[in-house]
Amino acid sequence: MTVKYIKYLAIIVVLILVQKTLIWLISLSSLNITPDLVLIAVVYISISEGKIFGSITGFIAGLTIDLISGSFLGLMALSYSITGFVAGVFFTEGDKNLSKINFLVIIFLCSIVSNLVYYVIYFQGLALNFFEIFSKYILTTSTYTTIVSIVYIIFPGKKALKEGY
Amino acid sequence: MKKLGIFILDLKEYITLAVLIVISLVLIFLNDNPQIRFLRAAAITSFGTVQSGISAIPNVFEMEKENKELREDNIKLANEISSLKESKLENIRLSRLLNFKEKIIPGVISGKIINKSLLQTRNTITLNVGENDSVAINMPVITDDGLVGRIVSTSRNYSIAQIIYNKDMRITVKVQRNRLDGILSYDGVSNLMVNNIQKSADVNVGDVIITSEYSNIYPPGIPVGTVSETGNLDNLFKKVVVTPLVNFLTLEEIFVLKFVSSKERSELEKAFQKK
Repeated sequence: MTVKYIKYLAIIVVLILVQKTLIWLISLSSLNITPDLVLIAVVYISISEGKIFGSITGFIAGLTIDLISGSFLGLMALSYSITGFVAGVFFTEGDKNLSKINFLVIIFLCSIVSNLVYYVIYFQGLALNFFEIFSKYILTTSTYTTIVSIVYIIFPGKKALKEGY
Repeated sequence: MKKLGIFILDLKEYITLAVLIVISLVLIFLNDNPQIRFLRAAAITSFGTVQSGISAIPNVFEMEKENKELREDNIKLANEISSLKESKLENIRLSRLLNFKEKIIPGVISGKIINKSLLQTRNTITLNVGENDSVAINMPVITDDGLVGRIVSTSRNYSIAQIIYNKDMRITVKVQRNRLDGILSYDGVSNLMVNNIQKSADVNVGDVIITSEYSNIYPPGIPVGTVSETGNLDNLFKKVVVTPLVNFLTLEEIFVLKFVSSKERSELEKAFQKK
């Protein structure tokens, strides 16, 4: 049990580091659209463990990113807490929702929710309207994150292999 | 208590999320950047709107008290407005009179009417100026509109003037347009008439009637009224009805002209009539 949590912690830490240091290598367009790797991990953990664990994980991961980036304390924590909760709704016995398409759909949905919370607050007071924010940032980032999460499907874990994934 | 515990346990996921959201929001609002300033402004506006909505719910006791205060204020303000209106009207009247006094006649005594009768056949007005102000009998009384009458009695501080609506008044007048002479008198009922106008004379409605130089009491050229009606009086004379320029109903301030008739002229005329 403890190993599992340590594993989650390690995954989150590694992905945060990658997100904050190397992600620019795969950024798209002048808007620097990047996939949200930490979100993929938060969604995964939430689907596996449920709403409470998912929201707490999201909050800790988000707060860590906020502290590292030092720009908008609390915003990512809020965004990931809600995302963790929403992803936790898809928690089922037997991890049915961690399979192929279901996971991609949930990632896309959670990414939309997460980016919606994040960007709507982030762009407050600027001359961008909601449609622009949604089309330029929320939709693109969510799509990109969903595409990157295909990696999880292409390289299934031990459990999936054992179950004849 | 147990039920409450179960209820809380049922909601533990939502409570956790709520706590996390609150912590996040607190952290967010600790920031001081444009977005947060905007959000703070939006939050204050929203809160203000809600508060305004709540404050719209009437507090009956407070409203009763406020109503009473407003009624009292209303009475005070109404009195003030009335007083200001009165002052304004007085100011307008006095300005007109002052302007008239400066413009036309040197040597006038300004006064106020303190009593008047308008419904009798011999109407008079009482003025608050008298001998101490150099008012003397037979001095003409006028306003900036025209002739009012003449002084008939004086005391030290008051005087009485006969107005043109007085059956004893006879004023030699003329039609300003064509200098036609006549004598203005009051018929004792309601009309001022110009007598001794021949039937064939050219007098029209609207003609201005002024005092004549034949008068030994009034200086010539003071407007008296306008012709309001003409017709035939009998086979020889014309009926000419005059409406005075002065509105006696609203008259308050007047001027007494320091115009004293020439004694020499009066004596000469009297002596000639005796012969």
